[in-house]
Amino acid sequence: MSNDRVGIIGIGQSNFRSRRDDASYPDLVREAVVPAMMDAGLDFDAIDAVVYSLSPDAMVGIGNAERLGVDAVGGRNKRFLRINTGGATGISSVTAAYYHIASGVCDVVLTAGADKVGECGDSQTVLNKIWDPTYERALPLGTINMLAMSAVRYMKRYGMTEEDMAYVAVKNRRQASLNPRAHLRKTVTIDDVMDSRCISWPIKLMDCCPQSSGGAAMVLASEKFIRDNKLDAVWITGVACRAETYWMGDRMGTNPTAEHADAYALGRSFEQSYKMAGITDPSKQVHVAELYAPFSNTEYHAIDAARLVDKFGDSIKRLRDGEFELGGRIPVNPSGGTLCTNAIAVTAMARVAETALQVWGRAGAHQVPGARVGIASGNGGDHQIFGTMVIEA
Amino acid sequence: MEQPMELLGRQEVWNIAYDHALGETASYFFTQIRDHGRIFGRRCAQSNRVLVPPRAFSDETLLPTTEWVEVGPGGRIEAFTFVYEQFNGLPPPPYAFGYVLLDGADTALGGYFRNVDLTNPREAAEKLAIGTRVVTKFAEQRKGDVLDFWFEIA
Amino acid sequence: MPYKVRPAVVGCAIRPAITGRDRSLEEIIYDISQAALADAGLTIEDIDGIVVGCNDQFDGRAISVMMASGPTGGVDRDILSTPSSSEHAFVLGALRVASGQFRTQLVVSWSPTEVSSMSEAQRLGADPYFHRALPLDELSAHAMQAGALNHVWPNAWVFAETVAVKNRRHAAVAWPDPSARPAPGKARWPLTDRMTTEPVTGAVAMVLAGADFVAERGFENPAWLRGMGWATEAAFLGDRDLSKAPALEEAARQAYEEAGIKDPAAAFDVVEITDATPYCELIAYDALGLCPREQIAARMAEGWFAKGGKSPVNLSGGVVTFNPVFCTGMIRIAEIAQQIRGKAGAHQVEGARLGLAHAGSGFALQYQSAVILGATPKGDAP
Repeated sequence: MSNDRVGIIGIGQSNFRSRRDDASYPDLVREAVVPAMMDAGLDFDAIDAVVYSLSPDAMVGIGNAERLGVDAVGGRNKRFLRINTGGATGISSVTAAYYHIASGVCDVVLTAGADKVGECGDSQTVLNKIWDPTYERALPLGTINMLAMSAVRYMKRYGMTEEDMAYVAVKNRRQASLNPRAHLRKTVTIDDVMDSRCISWPIKLMDCCPQSSGGAAMVLASEKFIRDNKLDAVWITGVACRAETYWMGDRMGTNPTAEHADAYALGRSFEQSYKMAGITDPSKQVHVAELYAPFSNTEYHAIDAARLVDKFGDSIKRLRDGEFELGGRIPVNPSGGTLCTNAIAVTAMARVAETALQVWGRAGAHQVPGARVGIASGNGGDHQIFGTMVIEA
Repeated sequence: MEQPMELLGRQEVWNIAYDHALGETASYFFTQIRDHGRIFGRRCAQSNRVLVPPRAFSDETLLPTTEWVEVGPGGRIEAFTFVYEQFNGLPPPPYAFGYVLLDGADTALGGYFRNVDLTNPREAAEKLAIGTRVVTKFAEQRKGDVLDFWFEIA
Repeated sequence: MPYKVRPAVVGCAIRPAITGRDRSLEEIIYDISQAALADAGLTIEDIDGIVVGCNDQFDGRAISVMMASGPTGGVDRDILSTPSSSEHAFVLGALRVASGQFRTQLVVSWSPTEVSSMSEAQRLGADPYFHRALPLDELSAHAMQAGALNHVWPNAWVFAETVAVKNRRHAAVAWPDPSARPAPGKARWPLTDRMTTEPVTGAVAMVLAGADFVAERGFENPAWLRGMGWATEAAFLGDRDLSKAPALEEAARQAYEEAGIKDPAAAFDVVEITDATPYCELIAYDALGLCPREQIAARMAEGWFAKGGKSPVNLSGGVVTFNPVFCTGMIRIAEIAQQIRGKAGAHQVEGARLGLAHAGSGFALQYQSAVILGATPKGDAP
């Protein structure tokens, strides 16, 4: 097994912003690919395959926009395919790249993408179209009010308050202020969040992620290639994906398998990736977590699902006690997370990239000292498709 | 000093229509709503769960559903939110909508809540708390979609 | 073999032309997934993961995989999607089985015709910076490719006509009821009407399993993956020599290397090629090493690529017969799987042991894949 792992050898990320009028969509992809290749110290000749990370085409306003990105990733006449699992796309793309290598077919794989959410006018208009045209699209559904309904149920089950939600925003904004790549870097107070305008109750403006533009890229390689070429790497030791029902109303009612307050399939995915990595007690064995949480309330059920607490809902008190901030027991989203930067196509890849940088000891001002084992997650669809990873030094 | 270069943009609209086949199951559901103001679910014989809106198959058992079951018009609130922000292509705010478990159903159906004062969201949230009984109301003129009905506090 | 575990196709369902409005798209996907499982003699409990190939613009749904996870059995399972092409779903499913981390995968793709204009849906794929204002859809790109081939090979149009006639003849065997076959398309110069066909709704699903699982369950005629290659051309048509297919040459090189094939021209008992137009088939003969251009006249004269020939191509009738646009690539692979499994139906090649599927998609087939499937070696465990 010791020569059979898959490692991460290069990482590139944009400095994420609202708009990038200076760069076309493929320019933004290139902006992440070049530093990732420099970081890996490889030429494009070394790349056996490319996995392209792009969520809804409508978000960038180009159908099958991955085709337009072929040259930006050096993909011409190479193995190339695209992944889309909505918000989970970024981690699903790293996962697909992982299988390219784990299958034995490829030694070095590049995965990359970018988003220009700021150009789509209003992401909620696009995101309304994720609901089925038969029954639900006529309703004013969007990802914000979909997760506002999760918040309402989480409040009912576990006693979360609007102020508890604000604590997450304050923590993540403070951490983002240390991360030069983050989009929202201004610190905020509990009062700022509580007084911000109500978008979809109980979610207020500062409980929400921004619409970001920027790219991300990672280079993965086989353990054999890494050893033969004496490269520096961190390792993907656990990887999984799980989905739950598309129908939000099926996550309510009488004894649902997947409760909409929680993140059922995220928990199932973590179970699988922990099992693969040999992690039996994540609350003791995990040092850092980058958990996809686009709205403040969703960080709680993500922490629960990752079993960083003993029982669901304990995350509320423990976060308030400071356990999940930089300097705390298990820092969650030290980069500021999705709440401070959301370029949808690569947001979940940024979770993996940030976790890798942490266990590598290369995270900079938001480094968690001594982190060796990290976890990352991505959520896609209507809180439906989840990807998870364990990354170790 | 060099002048900053002129950066151009271009407005593009995706204007494309789809005619989605609803299939037999959803067609029955919507014709019953349109013609009779009645709501039906489908029962999965293996799990005995009544799926509303009706599905031709259960995504848990992967078996075809077998039986029409009328549900509602009463029910209880399972989830709600109040929207105060205008989004392109979505209705003018504020509005309240969410999911209701209709009597006889095992899964919740989405719809608007009407006749709720949304001036103060925290007060409205108490009125629409999860578990609150509601009743389904039907429009006089119905065309066979989910906007033909809405929920009001019973 | 590079794979940690060799994958095989053990179940298959192809519906290249679905008519009627009694089933919604979700229900069509449920039907095709269940049919592939039934063909394998498995239930969803045996499936470890799913990969779907689906396209938001054709489906009229953003993140189309969401709608598909229920009907394919994705609830509480590992599901990914490849919106780049249907064949990429097969590729990723095969890689997952080959990793040894999954015993099985269900791969599914579909292509509805619910959009008001396929052409308009495809035009969204032209970049808004330089090309969106042009009437650039897939058929225009294919027509330009045909023109490019005619330019460097002035007799190409004659052979293209012959290929179209051959594939339509094959269709008459595979699908004897003429009313089941859609009308010819509305061609763009230099294509003629009978070189294309009107898009239809279609769906396809396959069950992949690793060698251990195949042995454990004792599948009778698995179609083993012998080699697989995939590659892409550049995005802008202006950057390409449309008369050539370098990405397909690369895909073929990968597949032949894995399969240890030195002389592809005589290697395959049966071949399926994505004949989005017959010109695509002509380009593929060359790029796949099945026949160099200068020999095509002679080969065609002796019926080399026709039913009963040495290396019959598109016995299914090909894309010119049924064109469910987005899933035609995976259907080519599924057709070869059925041939190797001896379950192709009326167009079965007796005793087919090694087959090649070419799957191409996008503007002038930007994406190119080659998949080689083979029977269990005689007197040999896999």
